[in-house]
Amino acid sequence: MLFGRKNRKPIVIPKKEVVEWKYSTCNYCSTGCSIELGLNDQGKVVTSRGHAGADVNRGKLCIKGLLEHDLFDSAGRGSQPLMRDKAYESFEPASWDQALDRTAEKIKDIQEKYGRDAFAVVSTGQLMTEEFYTLGKLARGCIGSNNYDGNTTLCMASAVSGYKRSFGSDGPPGCYEDFEYTECFMAFGSNLPEQHPIIYWRLKEAREKRSFPMIVVDPRVTMLAQFADIHLPITPGTDCVLINSMLHVIFSEGLQDQSYIDAHTNGSKELIELVMSDTYDPKVAQHVCGIDEDRIRTVARIYARAGSAMSIWTMGINQSTHGSDGVANINNLNLVTGNIGKPGGTSLSITGQCNAMGTREWSSCSGLPGYRYLENEKDREYIADFWGIDPEFFPKKRGLAQTDIFPAIETGEIKGMWLIATNPMTSMADTARMRKIMEKLDFLVVQDCYEDVETNQFSHVYFPAAVWAEKEGCHTNTERRVNLTRTALQCYGDSKPDLWIFNQLSKRFDNGKVINFPESAEGAFEEMKKLSVGAGRTLDISGMSYDKIERAQGIQWPYTEADAKRDAQLSPEEKPKGASRLYTDGKFQTADGKANLISVDFINNNEQPCQDFPFWLNSGRVVEHFHTRTRTGKVGNCNKFSPTPYMEMNPDAAAELGVVHQQYVRLASRRGDAVVMVQLTHRVPRNMVFIPFHYHDCVNRLTLGLLDPYSRQPAFKQCSVRIEPVDQDEAAALNVQRRAF
Amino acid sequence: MNELVEGLSSGKQNTGIVVETPKSDGSTLWEIRTEEQPYAFLSDNEIKEENRYGQKIDLVDLTGLPEDRSMFINENPEVGCNPNRNKQHGFFFTADNCIGCHACEAACSEKNENPAHIAFRSVGYVEGGSFPDYKRMNISMACNHCDDPVCLKGCPTAAYTKHAEYGAVLQDPDTCFGCGYCTWVCPYNAPQLDPIQGQVSKCNMCVDRLEVGLKPSCVSACVGNALDFGVIENVPENRDQAKTSIPGFPDPEITHPNIRFQQITQMPDEMKRTDSTPVKYQKDEKGGYKTVVNQAASNNSKGQQRHWNLGKLSSRETPLVLFTLMAQASIGAFALPFIGSQFGVESLVAFRDTVAYVPLAILSFLMVGLGLFMSSMHLGKPKRFYRGFNNWRHSPVCREGLGIAAFMGALGMHILFSLPDNSLFQSLDSTLFGGIFSQLISANWTISIANVFGWLALPSALVGLYYMNRCYRIKARPFWNHWQVITSFFGNALSLGAFISGLVIVTTLALLGVSYSSALIIAGVLMLVGLTAESIGLVAHGKAMNDATHEGAASHFIQCTTFGNTYYLRNTLLGFNLLLMAGLLAFAGDGTIALIGWACAGLLLVVSSVVGRALFYVLVIPTTMPGAFFWKNKGFEQHARDIGLAEMPQVGVIPNAH
Repeated sequence: MLFGRKNRKPIVIPKKEVVEWKYSTCNYCSTGCSIELGLNDQGKVVTSRGHAGADVNRGKLCIKGLLEHDLFDSAGRGSQPLMRDKAYESFEPASWDQALDRTAEKIKDIQEKYGRDAFAVVSTGQLMTEEFYTLGKLARGCIGSNNYDGNTTLCMASAVSGYKRSFGSDGPPGCYEDFEYTECFMAFGSNLPEQHPIIYWRLKEAREKRSFPMIVVDPRVTMLAQFADIHLPITPGTDCVLINSMLHVIFSEGLQDQSYIDAHTNGSKELIELVMSDTYDPKVAQHVCGIDEDRIRTVARIYARAGSAMSIWTMGINQSTHGSDGVANINNLNLVTGNIGKPGGTSLSITGQCNAMGTREWSSCSGLPGYRYLENEKDREYIADFWGIDPEFFPKKRGLAQTDIFPAIETGEIKGMWLIATNPMTSMADTARMRKIMEKLDFLVVQDCYEDVETNQFSHVYFPAAVWAEKEGCHTNTERRVNLTRTALQCYGDSKPDLWIFNQLSKRFDNGKVINFPESAEGAFEEMKKLSVGAGRTLDISGMSYDKIERAQGIQWPYTEADAKRDAQLSPEEKPKGASRLYTDGKFQTADGKANLISVDFINNNEQPCQDFPFWLNSGRVVEHFHTRTRTGKVGNCNKFSPTPYMEMNPDAAAELGVVHQQYVRLASRRGDAVVMVQLTHRVPRNMVFIPFHYHDCVNRLTLGLLDPYSRQPAFKQCSVRIEPVDQDEAAALNVQRRAF
Repeated sequence: MNELVEGLSSGKQNTGIVVETPKSDGSTLWEIRTEEQPYAFLSDNEIKEENRYGQKIDLVDLTGLPEDRSMFINENPEVGCNPNRNKQHGFFFTADNCIGCHACEAACSEKNENPAHIAFRSVGYVEGGSFPDYKRMNISMACNHCDDPVCLKGCPTAAYTKHAEYGAVLQDPDTCFGCGYCTWVCPYNAPQLDPIQGQVSKCNMCVDRLEVGLKPSCVSACVGNALDFGVIENVPENRDQAKTSIPGFPDPEITHPNIRFQQITQMPDEMKRTDSTPVKYQKDEKGGYKTVVNQAASNNSKGQQRHWNLGKLSSRETPLVLFTLMAQASIGAFALPFIGSQFGVESLVAFRDTVAYVPLAILSFLMVGLGLFMSSMHLGKPKRFYRGFNNWRHSPVCREGLGIAAFMGALGMHILFSLPDNSLFQSLDSTLFGGIFSQLISANWTISIANVFGWLALPSALVGLYYMNRCYRIKARPFWNHWQVITSFFGNALSLGAFISGLVIVTTLALLGVSYSSALIIAGVLMLVGLTAESIGLVAHGKAMNDATHEGAASHFIQCTTFGNTYYLRNTLLGFNLLLMAGLLAFAGDGTIALIGWACAGLLLVVSSVVGRALFYVLVIPTTMPGAFFWKNKGFEQHARDIGLAEMPQVGVIPNAH
């Protein structure tokens, strides 16, 4: 009688009682998934779901997105502004006016005493695009410091730099749809299943429909590497050697797309000269990059012979001393084989933060809004005119990058700083040096949605910020898709949208009374639309509107007024569609419209494993956490999958050192030490350890972070460490202490 | 596999049924997303007649239950529009594809509003090979809604129902009293015992979604295209295989689980777990994987060294250590003087007539009573203990409880009716109550009635003991699933019972100056017989576990290493005690030295029994799915508790109770 029972038992399944779904875009990574937040009749967010009609995620979400609505009232949220005179004193609650007045006054003091650039502004890739635009207005137009940049220097600066060097302009030229067309897919230092699960799913869907070769370059056997047809376990930092060697094979076997090279590129002569040198002959190069010559030839041939081939990359390329070079070199590979701007043929940077693209486009961090440059007089005049200020207020050259701002504090050139949604105490290389730097600041403002963000221990003023759907605005994802988040609920406590904070602070500066600061995000978006128009501009969003973006679940730029007119004819079921690809006509944003082939020579300036420090230290993400874990560390159903830091280590190396699975070790580098729990696995080679980067007081106590000469992005993934035994009880106590929120 | 498919092909097949997207507009069971994608909808067009085990897939055919019954999900009377709602459904897991991204687990926890320490679905992994020829296989596992749901059969409260709708095995947390027995018997770790709530909950197959034609949340959320769902034996589009097992998955013969696998990619010859369970999987001759001990496993860092770990002998199951031992001792302690006196053994008849007989019976009563109390307090919801008698048709726990409770009841009545014959009671009666009881009923009558209850207590005790043994004969717990359980339980009833009753009897008779020698010999012989039975069982068990290719071998490995010193001490005590008892019986007679000798033997017996039973509970390793490095890793969970990390709820580990 398995089935029969006379009295049925109740079946109780939690019911969400949603009365309204609010549209939003995920606030974690750059994939740009559409999420609907379910509100009950009290206006409380009770559930969420992926938007099934959104082209990006088609209803899917990763673990972080699925549980993202749990963070609104998570532990550690800031509920009121805080102030103190000295960083070693305890905080006192303050009103917004007090906190903003004190901040404006201190900024002005510092600027008066030490010069305008002595106060730095460091932002993020996590805000709404409208907020970035407004912050740019405030930083460039009102505060007027040239030391204004974002933490995006840590994740995509190399991609930006590489794109600009090759194509004359930033902006990923491809899209996810390219997976459906490509005949050869190559991933450099990108672990999609862990870092961008939804992009991985789009790739997997394409591969289920149609088989095409997948090549993965990664020093670890990630899930993507394991599933690849060809895995190239490269020696860290030597991607340029591999690519040059592939180019060597392509040119020596005549596999290049000569007509594309002739019609659309400059610099092929220099490039050929470089890659045909003996150094990049696979026979020689194999000893540097660790991939045998046969494999190099095979990969070069299938890539070059494919009707269309695409490359993606993430931090494996960007976070190295050859980051910008690596990007330029991937672009070389695709230009030489004619794989730019065509379906399935592209150089697609997979960005990290949800709105890294938004900050690239509109924040004025590296110049002026809308991909404009301080170095360009016309741009200065145009923006100054648009804002209604004197063009001479703008510097004529970009100031320090984010990674150069901190050393400038070290040397005393910068005295005060405003950190917005970034946590350098966890995210920057060399924590010990960072701690010293932060202690040197006369005045630090931290603006974050969490008051327990580790960097806040050094601040003088804390601004509690709203998060995600507590406010409104757009994100641009890694395929240039502008997508919207609607306000779904009230801000936590007395926290405020970042836009509001910027607007209020602007009122406290002279130019802030001249420049128009729209109250609403949509008002700022309308300004950006006007600024996006212009002959030959790729970044044109003038055809978009909030309603249209929501209807389409995101629109890729460029989307001009002409496109909008065309789409006005669409039936209500059809969705407006922007540009899938850039450079489809082979015309680039350079003086002569041709792309640049950049000759990239390899210089080995990385800290290498040696007798004293025999292991490569590699770092990266895990799927359940985002960045410095300020949010995901509070969401139990995310955090439980890796609640403490750990280190992947090869069992053979461990056996020699007597290191045991699931016990603690102490790692030491030339910078400092860290304690981690050991996970023995053959996923990593014998001379390498891997540590997820999310944890405070962990991997970045060890990292060197040598800077890329072009992008100023740190090489987080190449340095060396040694492994020391540690008292297990003391290590455990330290582990608990460092994990306490 | 092939012969199974052929076997099936001879059966009738329902072909040609085209399933359309169900019309679920306006369903109050589940709101389908606007522009919902095809991957989320169930799509079973053809349905086989029987599954590979020969069971009908149409559950209305199988059970004769009516169609179109409402499931009353959240008391909603709506009947779902799913045309296949009466077919057995199951999961399909393409192990080749799983990326271990936790989306299925997160979607499940979000939908079911589970806190961090509870998960209806979990992902673990096995890995093997040598860099860069390394492979990891992630395994996502929830309830398999088995054909033979051992949880349902085991549950003493009858909280489980296997529904004719979808074949879903659903559990009602409001019925459950939190004994956790279903978590013991399930080979897949599907039922989740929440120590905070004091109850079990589990995967509900998302029957609300199924009713409107959608796949479960976890499946719809899968990002690796690994997890799928449909009518059982149907192979999804683009998939070729439908295996019943993959490395790390327990023997499907235990429950006939409704899950099928595709795993075409070859895995290394040896696959290891990352959690602390000292088990790994080796490719066998047939290409499958067998379970073997991983002697280098994480928590046995010191390899094969032997340790004491006496502190770790105490576990959540300690109340059960005491319950089983006390119930067994109680049964033996009652049975010896009662049966002996009934069969006219002179010294025992004499003892029955002494004032000490009733106190001994009361001691037995208290022991079994305390045992039952402890086992009730071990429940998540002790006040619901009476629900333990709901499922006498199937559950050994229920029958054990019934047997022991009946024994206790009959023993109580036996004591009650033995009182009038007791000289102490008689004097109390005459001094305090003026002999009212002796006038009410004659001692001859009461003795007869007491005897009837005594004879009733014995079969109840035997039934209780037998089902106590059956409780531990769990296929998903190979270390327990051996006949030594019965020799141990009955052996302890004899040895401990004989020791306790012998102690009272011999002392009483000696003090009264009556000859106790036959009582001493009978008790001694029974102690020796009980200990011998236990020892034979243990020797056979040790050998069987040593030779086994299942988790029992791993348990035995831990027994010999982590608890090695404790284990060898217990064995030495047992062996020495056997010799001691045999020697006492052969040479010692009934003098003072003999009495001291027997007292020593009894004490040794108590120590070895307690240590042995504690080992029995603490050592068992279930056939659960492999865990991950943190999640579902017993080693890490214990570590997090030890160091205080578990105090943070977002770690997902329940801290130690204070």
